[in-house]
Amino acid sequence: MAVGIVVVSHSARLADGVKELAGQMAGAEVKIAATGGGPDDTLGTNAVQIEAAINRVYGDDGVLILVDLGSAVLSAEVAVESLPPERQEHVLISNAPLVEGAVVATVEASIGASLLNVEAAAVRAGSMPKVER
Amino acid sequence: MSTEQIEVQVTNEHGLHARPAALFVQTAARFQSDIRLRNLSKAGSRPVNARSIMEVLTAGIDQGSRIELTAEGDDASDALHALRELIEGRLSSPSS
Repeated sequence: MAVGIVVVSHSARLADGVKELAGQMAGAEVKIAATGGGPDDTLGTNAVQIEAAINRVYGDDGVLILVDLGSAVLSAEVAVESLPPERQEHVLISNAPLVEGAVVATVEASIGASLLNVEAAAVRAGSMPKVER
Repeated sequence: MSTEQIEVQVTNEHGLHARPAALFVQTAARFQSDIRLRNLSKAGSRPVNARSIMEVLTAGIDQGSRIELTAEGDDASDALHALRELIEGRLSSPSS
């Protein structure tokens, strides 16, 4: 097993795209679920859908949830609180940026890192320079 | 326990970034040995943990970089062999 990854965005297409990108970094051993978007192609996030996404990738090593902005965090918090208590303690909402965080978290998960180590690596991805100046 | 060290040149187009870096870290993680990576082409660079994707990405290994790999542990030799094969073989072929 490996830590499961949930990608939450206000845009369903963005969530799917981040999943696609992160999925290129790891083999099939890392389960990634993407969720986001409101009804009729609108933007939004939905706690019930996030909860379902968590359950799709849940395993003994836990789940890291990567979120884009603002209310995605609130929806993710509600989703986590809706889980059975024994699952809640193995699910973490990440402080990492969505794209870099998802890519780095997926690689760390693929080598069997613990949930806390996957989150630590994902957060560090946010301070990685893109251009040398 | 043994400690072994090799030098390899990274020839693939993207260096050890993105997917090649992921493959490198995943290969290093298959072994018990402690594996360190140092970018010889960047002045003052320190050895980093080869199993950490963040440390490998920030080592800034580009196409043409020479790297030093040091492994310490019972499977040090096998680990370095596998990493050399990855860098000189699979990563340097156009399909990757």
